[in-house]
Amino acid sequence: MPSRRGFIAGLMASSMAPSATWADAGAPAYLSAGKDELGLFVVAGLSAAGEVLFRHSLPDRGHAASAHPTRPEAVAFARRPGRFADVIDCRTGAQLARLEPPEGHHFYGHGVFSPEGEVMYTTENAYENGEGMIGVWNARDYRRIGQFPSGGIGPHEMRLRRDAPGLVVANGGIETHPDSGRAKLNIPFMRPNLSYLSLSGEIQEQMELPADLHKNSIRHIAVRSDGTVGFAMQWQGDLGADVPIVGLHFPGETHRLMGEDDPRLRNLSGYGGSIAFSGDETQVAVTSPRGGVVQVMDCASGALVAEHALADVCGLATTRAGFLASTGTGAVARIGTQVETLATAPLAWDNHLIPLV
Amino acid sequence: MSVLSRLTSTACALVALTGLARADALTDAVVDQHILPTYERLATETAEFATLTESDCAPTSEAVRTAWGEAFDAWVAASHLRFGPSEADNRAFAIAFWPDSRSKTPKALRGLLLDSDPVVNTPEDFATASVAVRGFYALEYLFYDPAYADLASPDYACAVVKAVAQDLSQNSAAILTDWQEEYAEKLRHPDERYRSDEEAHQELFKALNTGLEILGDMRIGRPLGTFDNPRPNRAEVRRSGRSLRHLELQLDSLRQLALLLSDGDAELSQHLTQVFDKADRHAANLADDPSFAGVSDPQHRFLLETLQQDVRAIKDIAALDLGPRLGVEAGFNALDGD
Repeated sequence: MPSRRGFIAGLMASSMAPSATWADAGAPAYLSAGKDELGLFVVAGLSAAGEVLFRHSLPDRGHAASAHPTRPEAVAFARRPGRFADVIDCRTGAQLARLEPPEGHHFYGHGVFSPEGEVMYTTENAYENGEGMIGVWNARDYRRIGQFPSGGIGPHEMRLRRDAPGLVVANGGIETHPDSGRAKLNIPFMRPNLSYLSLSGEIQEQMELPADLHKNSIRHIAVRSDGTVGFAMQWQGDLGADVPIVGLHFPGETHRLMGEDDPRLRNLSGYGGSIAFSGDETQVAVTSPRGGVVQVMDCASGALVAEHALADVCGLATTRAGFLASTGTGAVARIGTQVETLATAPLAWDNHLIPLV
Repeated sequence: MSVLSRLTSTACALVALTGLARADALTDAVVDQHILPTYERLATETAEFATLTESDCAPTSEAVRTAWGEAFDAWVAASHLRFGPSEADNRAFAIAFWPDSRSKTPKALRGLLLDSDPVVNTPEDFATASVAVRGFYALEYLFYDPAYADLASPDYACAVVKAVAQDLSQNSAAILTDWQEEYAEKLRHPDERYRSDEEAHQELFKALNTGLEILGDMRIGRPLGTFDNPRPNRAEVRRSGRSLRHLELQLDSLRQLALLLSDGDAELSQHLTQVFDKADRHAANLADDPSFAGVSDPQHRFLLETLQQDVRAIKDIAALDLGPRLGVEAGFNALDGD
């Protein structure tokens, strides 16, 4: 990690305007990757009402993005097994830099900035030995400054802990190799986990599900202000089995599975696409594009309290009032007691909707 | 399936009874002409192999190797039908653990042979062994890789062959029985597991897609590697020289399924026939390189790349023309999530 002095020197030397902040006019409220009318891939900035403010072309399909905590810039990551991450000025959509992982690595589509924004972390596959890695980048000049193991195979979404300094990583457990496309190479032996790492990579805690759920790939996470981690899974076994797709975990405690025994769990088709807590943090929601539903669960009781039909829904973000969702048909919809479509763009919104402020 | 599409299918049922009747016929045709015969053949061939090993189980026996090969052929034809009975108790993984990216099979087999592990003594015990050492691929090492020839006594090697053959036969019989006694019915008369004919069709379409992915990304993609880093040692069943054979067998089986799924659409059936014919011709061009050892040589490599393009073209046709016909919503996120 760069020293404070090095960080300031980098700041002074940077050509980027050091005074820009998220409060500057024109910054969007959300980012999402998508595919346009011509079949080209973009990352777009959206207003709070879901209107497209800018589009930035990507060389290939994007996935998620991560916003810098203070500067109005964000990094849009390639979908696995992609090898680019574009740093974007969120006021204009202009590209500030393009990152490439080292030889033998590819990105998994997610990353996160350190709390002060000096460093950015990316989930990566060191694919020759199938090891999950976290790439470490200087967030001023976006040079690669290090890497450490993620604590498992197939790290996907990664977030900052909120109960303590550190990272929480969803190691999905699935080994892939770019030569074999997106084919899954180790299903009978997969062992997903949730790993808590220090900001320098020491493994502090790991949560695994019981053996009968070893084929439930822990893929996406959201973190509540008290540090509770909500995780969404993707079942790799036969769909005939009714399996939990959402769980909550607080470091040091046992996990809780949500909506258990509710027959509507099946409507998720074994697949959680994105997860988010509600604005008041009493509920957690999951999207399933395969099921075409958003399900909302009560954090305290674990009960499934609402299900909303929304075709090809996947992106999901927390709003003050509840949730905002995006779909492959271009819709951005508010999820409250009902689904209210706010905007429809001529774009297919990809997996994630990233809140920027 | 979404509430919306359930509403749609109900609406379709109300307005187009003829359409619904044909929908049932489609599931029946795939179950009766493709799934049941494919798993019947696997059960028969593995049973014959297991019976033979009662009297002849030497890894060097030509009769044993032939029976193994015939049973393996039957598995390849079934290897895209990965839902329901094949997934219970990890049966399909126990029958065929591949790809083996971490070399679990050779390591486990070596351990078994060096220790003369008594786990092979009863079928009950052997069913608890790692899937890496239980199926067709473990026997391929034992039969065709000289490194495993002398690790154990001939008697123990024989016991391994017998145990694997019995286990293969048991798992194959269990899959077939489940299909015959309950799962075929679940597809034919949607109720609980599948809630509409549309959902049943989606499962069948997914099987075709799975097969095309296994073929293009794994059976062809793994040995191809990249131009700068070809991986001939990753070719499936290269030791027995069966790599190309598996591509051809899987193409045949997928063609049968694709044509059943496109039944009633003459133009689509014809198009599919053309692309499968083309893939067969390109596969035949590889006849002098049956184990894909030539992937390091640009000329040979080109032949396998061409075949991979054929498979991807078939997949595109399935996604664009066949999927919508079967009510598979080609949702951007639904079809290809992460």
